[in-house]
Amino acid sequence: MEYGERQQKRRFVVLTALFVGSIGVLVLYLFWLQIIKGGEFTQRARNVSERETPITAQRGEIFDRKGDDPLVFNVDSFSVDVSPGEVATADLPALFNRLSGVLSIPVQEIEQKVPPKTYKQFQPIAIKGGVTLQTISAIAEHVEDFKGVSWHNKPIRSYVESGTLAHVIGYVGDITREELQVLYNKSYGADTSLGKSGIEKQYDDILRGVDGQRFRVVDVKEKGVTGAEEKVVPPTPGKNVVLTIDRKIQKLAEQALGPRNGSVVVLKPSTGEILALVSYPTFDPNRFFSGDSSAYFNKLSTDPSSPFLDRAIQSAYPPGSTFKIIMTTGIADDGTIPINQSVLCTGKIEFGDRVFNCWLRTGHGYEDLFGGLAQSCDVYFWTMGNRLGPDKILNYARDFGVGSLTGIDLPGESSGLLPTPEWKQKIKHRQWVGGDTLNISIGQGDVTMTPLQLADSVAMVVNEGVVYKPHLLLKTIDPQTNQVVSQPAPEVLHRSAISKDVFQTVQAAMRGVITKGTAGPVITTKAVEIAGKTGTAQVVAGIETKSWHSWFAAYGPYETTNPDDRVVVVTMVEASDNWEWWAPKAADLIFQGIYANQTYEEAVATLKPWYAPVVGRVD
Amino acid sequence: MRRASLAPFDFVLFGATLALICIGILFIYSSGINAAGVLVSHEFVRQIIWAVLGLGILIFFALFSYTTLRVLSLYIYAGGLFLLLVTLIIGRQVNGARSWLGFAEVGIQPAEFMKIATILFLATYFTGIGNGIRELPRFILGLLIALVPIIFILLQPDMGEALAFIPIFLLMAFIAGAQPRHLMFILMVGFLGFILAAVPTLHARSGAAGASFFTLISDPEILKYLLLAGAVVTGLAFLGWRSFKQRYFFWIAWTGAVLVAGGLMSLALRFVLKDYQIMRLVIFVNPKLDPQGSGWNIIQSVTAIGSGGLHGKGWLHGTQSHYQFLPQQSTDFIFSILAEEWGFLGALLVFGLLIVIFLRGISIVWAAREDYATLVGTGILAMIFFHTLVNVGMAMGIMPVTGIPLMFLSYGGSALWTGLIGVGILMNISRRRLRY
Repeated sequence: MEYGERQQKRRFVVLTALFVGSIGVLVLYLFWLQIIKGGEFTQRARNVSERETPITAQRGEIFDRKGDDPLVFNVDSFSVDVSPGEVATADLPALFNRLSGVLSIPVQEIEQKVPPKTYKQFQPIAIKGGVTLQTISAIAEHVEDFKGVSWHNKPIRSYVESGTLAHVIGYVGDITREELQVLYNKSYGADTSLGKSGIEKQYDDILRGVDGQRFRVVDVKEKGVTGAEEKVVPPTPGKNVVLTIDRKIQKLAEQALGPRNGSVVVLKPSTGEILALVSYPTFDPNRFFSGDSSAYFNKLSTDPSSPFLDRAIQSAYPPGSTFKIIMTTGIADDGTIPINQSVLCTGKIEFGDRVFNCWLRTGHGYEDLFGGLAQSCDVYFWTMGNRLGPDKILNYARDFGVGSLTGIDLPGESSGLLPTPEWKQKIKHRQWVGGDTLNISIGQGDVTMTPLQLADSVAMVVNEGVVYKPHLLLKTIDPQTNQVVSQPAPEVLHRSAISKDVFQTVQAAMRGVITKGTAGPVITTKAVEIAGKTGTAQVVAGIETKSWHSWFAAYGPYETTNPDDRVVVVTMVEASDNWEWWAPKAADLIFQGIYANQTYEEAVATLKPWYAPVVGRVD
Repeated sequence: MRRASLAPFDFVLFGATLALICIGILFIYSSGINAAGVLVSHEFVRQIIWAVLGLGILIFFALFSYTTLRVLSLYIYAGGLFLLLVTLIIGRQVNGARSWLGFAEVGIQPAEFMKIATILFLATYFTGIGNGIRELPRFILGLLIALVPIIFILLQPDMGEALAFIPIFLLMAFIAGAQPRHLMFILMVGFLGFILAAVPTLHARSGAAGASFFTLISDPEILKYLLLAGAVVTGLAFLGWRSFKQRYFFWIAWTGAVLVAGGLMSLALRFVLKDYQIMRLVIFVNPKLDPQGSGWNIIQSVTAIGSGGLHGKGWLHGTQSHYQFLPQQSTDFIFSILAEEWGFLGALLVFGLLIVIFLRGISIVWAAREDYATLVGTGILAMIFFHTLVNVGMAMGIMPVTGIPLMFLSYGGSALWTGLIGVGILMNISRRRLRY
């Protein structure tokens, strides 16, 4: 250091600058961290230590239109949890033994769910769900023996009318990863239950209510911090839903269809309210909450008769002769063909190089529009269809809603198919030929409709040009005050340009089907005068075998001063090996039950003497 | 000639030190409170006992003539090395490092005290050689005095404590008049060595695939040939400088030597350092690479500090700390709990007190009329400075996690006593500076 005073002084300046400068940098960085970005870290610190537990909202109950007894309600069911950290590790095996006894599950199962690495953890681990109140009481009475054991209520749904209403009401289940991704922003959480099908899915946001939250502060081991304030946001229970379904009619229709693959639609044409919606085969959603739920679910999923399918709205079939209602309207409206002009049916017509046989090989003789519909004469409709041409037929079909959704408030509705020349070119790579026009004239070929669409078609005839949107939701009710929350007004789905006179002609023609036509022998009810149309649709199942879907679309009473009394009934029985002409019979029983206020058994007893044996196939 | 021995007691230095110790005790107390508000640790009581005993030690060193220390410095240094050696053999293992020496509950960390011993002996050596420090061999001999304890401590292994000797040596040598090119050489080699040691793990953890520039300096096989080539270039440049006395030959040789020595050091570090120590270097660059593991401490600490804001959450009301998210709150991360509970203003108070110690210390050292006193004082200040910079920088996430305590504040007797011995010696120098 004899190196010189000035140099030494310079070194100390450097030293001072280093010390003060470094501390300065620390202060500046701290300023940035605490003052400029402080808010962000405050939030992060809270996120690190705050946990929220959802308090599940009571799901709304579902009622039929009378609104007295629920069709679906909630049953208390408990889930038992263990927080291993609250129990001394040495005491855990004894606790597991006691739990195994009271919950009647093997000890191994508990040990599997609570492995040794979780022994210090305070987070509750679910041991068993679906535990009854009695079991919980047993645990609660000996609470000192069950230290670290807790339970929470996870209500399960009880479906009272588990028969064919399963398709309408649907069921709830745990949310899947995919559903959560879509619904996360609508405040669905990872362990919420949600409607998987039917009304439960369609009106999930009405039924589910808003979950409450319990906020608590935890330390690094997830142990709740005592003394930290606990905030509770109470849950808002879901609204009760009242359906348009009439429980009695639903039961009647279900029994009338019986164990046959098929469906029934009963709706009120003046509003679009659905009184009954039956599909067979069906399933029992209650079993999804039982022990064998996954086995049952797998069995249903692989069943070739597709029990999950709601045949009334999700299956489209060739409408067969019921399509002649639309053809009749078209012929009457078009006016180029007088309705009383007759066609000679010899049992067949030749078209191009093909021969088309009427269902009655012997021929109907001369038939006009009324006779043609009553006898369902194919030759009449082939001849007239050919004269109308495909464009007009397709336009009338569109007017009746063929190929478009009815907009019913159920998920997964099918729109059926209205084949057009463009469609045929694009999909089948073939030209529309005259044979296609003949086919669609009798509801065969590529055209398909759902039973609900056909019911809407009948409703259009009944309402003389107006169709109301079919719906199942009558109103929603607040479960706490019993006040009606909302009651949607009937909504017009479609208004036709066709004049009322034309529809009155069609109504008369449909009445003729019952009084002097194909349905005469089977429609025997005296309770109400009905009008309708039978149908059998050909299904090519194999090269040689042909089988037939059986349809019946009708309404009643034929004449009334109060349109609200009227109902439309569509019955549909799928082709089976032994053809049964069951659809009109089922409708007969349903009309009898509704208008004579009878149960199925009573209706059968009343109508039985009138049953004539049906020989052979009648279209 | 000796009348100045009655110069006033340095109240400024003493007051600032005492204030820091009291703040430290407050937050050691706070860190002992768990989430339920129950006091679960009595570390603060021990810290008070150590502080009281430590103040006695401080007064002893403030009164005791440092000239005696100069005479004894070789023996103190040798004794310190012996203790380090003993620690390596029979020391108690805490947190993976064999750094404790003691019986039952009472123990010391010899590495802490070794810093004082090294400062005293280095100052003796530098004073003895005077201007000779400008010669490379004598400079290297001085470096060796610092390197021996570094190697002993690295073997424990305690990287943070070992690193503390480097700034002590560099700043003492700087004040003693060493050549800047020598000092820069050590600084650059150290920096390069640590960066190169961290690169391979960082590179592998970042998930980058395929060969790149990083593969070139990561693969030991390739690095070996690079170093050989560098050594040849350096050797040729050195010969050139010797033969032609041209300056640019010297700087080529200097740069080459930095690169080669840095590379060699990185290989040595990769060999010596444990995986977790390498990981700390990596985490320093990017804590998010391992958020649940090694990066956890940094993320929690930065969150605690950041959430403190201007005023803090209030003493005993920190959430990150009391819910135990913040690890090692009373020792390594005492600054985090302070910044969380007292906020920016509280941290400013601590920085202010430290600045008081530094500025007061520099003025004492500058005024000292004896080279030995100047150098000892510089070493002590360098030690306190390094502990502050690295510990606070680590808590804020801008320095690697090395686990060295914040002097005067962190819980721990050895570090506290080391700091107090240092302040005592500074006060001693202060008392005798007016000696004429």
